Amino acid sequence: MVLWRLSTMSAGVWLASAATGAVAGDRELGAYLSAECVTCHQITGQETGAVPRITGWPDDQFVAVMNAYKHKRRDNPIMQTIAGRLAADEIAALAAYFGAVSSPSVAK
Amino acid sequence: MMSVGEIRQQEGYTAWSQKPESQSEREGPMDVNRRQLLTGTAALAGTMMLGAPALLAQAKPKVVVIGGGAGGTTAAKYVARDSAGAIAVTLVEPNANYQTCFHSNLYLGGLRDYASITHEYTALARNNGIELVRDRATMIDRDKKEVILAGGQRLPYDRLVVSPGIDLKYDSVPGWSQAAEETMPHAWKPGAQTLLLRRRLDAVPNGGVIVMIAPPNPYRCPPGPYERVSMMAHALKAAGKDRCKIFVIDPKESFSKQALFQEGWERHYPGMVEWLGPKVHDGLKSVDPASGTVVTGFETYKNAALVNVIPAQMAGAIARDSSLANASGYCAIDPASMKSAVDANIYVLGDASIAGEMPKSAFSANSQAKVAAMMIRGELVASRTFPARYTNTCWSMIETDDCVKVGGAYEARDGKIAASSTFVSQTGEAAELRKQQQAENMGWYAGITADMLG
Repeated sequence: MVLWRLSTMSAGVWLASAATGAVAGDRELGAYLSAECVTCHQITGQETGAVPRITGWPDDQFVAVMNAYKHKRRDNPIMQTIAGRLAADEIAALAAYFGAVSSPSVAK
Repeated sequence: MMSVGEIRQQEGYTAWSQKPESQSEREGPMDVNRRQLLTGTAALAGTMMLGAPALLAQAKPKVVVIGGGAGGTTAAKYVARDSAGAIAVTLVEPNANYQTCFHSNLYLGGLRDYASITHEYTALARNNGIELVRDRATMIDRDKKEVILAGGQRLPYDRLVVSPGIDLKYDSVPGWSQAAEETMPHAWKPGAQTLLLRRRLDAVPNGGVIVMIAPPNPYRCPPGPYERVSMMAHALKAAGKDRCKIFVIDPKESFSKQALFQEGWERHYPGMVEWLGPKVHDGLKSVDPASGTVVTGFETYKNAALVNVIPAQMAGAIARDSSLANASGYCAIDPASMKSAVDANIYVLGDASIAGEMPKSAFSANSQAKVAAMMIRGELVASRTFPARYTNTCWSMIETDDCVKVGGAYEARDGKIAASSTFVSQTGEAAELRKQQQAENMGWYAGITADMLG
């Protein structure tokens, strides 16, 4: 998988969100939204089949990947559907939530 | 000769023409009133004045969950875990083990073993502090807010989650019955029936005829019957029994992922599968379990090696017996919360609910349970709530490394759960993509079972 660096676009999202105070992580919002993700992506970080780990990523990378799905620059209809309805502050909340989940004992 | 309509009426076909659930009537959302709870918990005020910790603990709000499937386990876990002990959660489930309906077709096809679709409830209970009661809920006393168990025990609740899944309409297929499920299995509830169908499939001789009676809408797992046909054909082909034929007698003019399945059957199992819609079979007239006979308007199938009857369905008995279901046989809910349209203290999840455009799937039930759990915590311990959002994806295996999917995102809109966007696999997709989707399917299974039961 290509790891995206902080793009101009996601930096813009960051700054805009920071202005509304959301990026520091509305952790409660992130926790609620995360429930949608963990039906497939395990909170333990365990990877199975073609479903990758999403815990412990840097916030900027998480935001960049989600935006790539949201704007259909990355393929997969499920992720495009999920990301498609997430607003910038919601993506930031998810990034904050999953970024803070440590997975010390992940079996690969 | 009678018209098709007359035959259907005469043969008890009313169940086959019931309205889709999304058209069923429902009442408006119930008001959430936290004061109702406080006044209902009569002892609370007195307890607080005494201030003894032991008595305070007794005042802890109680959530009872009926049904240990995808909806019930998820609701129990998310209420218990996210309230961190502030809410007492009890899960009522009669079975010691849980066999997933999802991926049971893969067991049928020989692509998963039975142990791999069998799960225990112990980790769920232990990890999240859930009290597990192994019994059957037989009645809900909605006035007293108590669940009555087969063993006589009464479980008081402040909020109740009803997630009983489906019951089968044994009288929806003329000639079939509950007793006949031993000879013409349904395998639409997991467990002994799943094992029976597999044994029967394995015993089909080369050249044998299999007839599947497909269900009318709405039913559990819309692509399920057709994935099952695919997995049966896979098992037959793998055993060298490619002279077998599977006939599907369907009351519906079309079905989920139809173009994808029919393309796959032609590609992988040429000549083995024949799907017949109602205009082509002219209506199912009767089955005879003793002789393995299936009679349609145009054809009689005699001495079938296996007949798989998937009948019409309805919400589980506890939901119907407690008057939570309407005339459709399913339960109307507030699409913004999954709260019952007829009882503000009860939430109904999964297959038993009328969830608008969401299909009856484990994924849907799991998604709905998370919304309900959030709303229940909001009511009982004043935690934050957010607008409901739902998702679903259904993967279906057509052949090894050939998996297709359908899904969508959903929200409360216009008084029902409506799709905000949907997707479905396309015919003619590259083999590599289909293989990737199968890997996704396996990842999802591991994910959702960990989410439900971990």
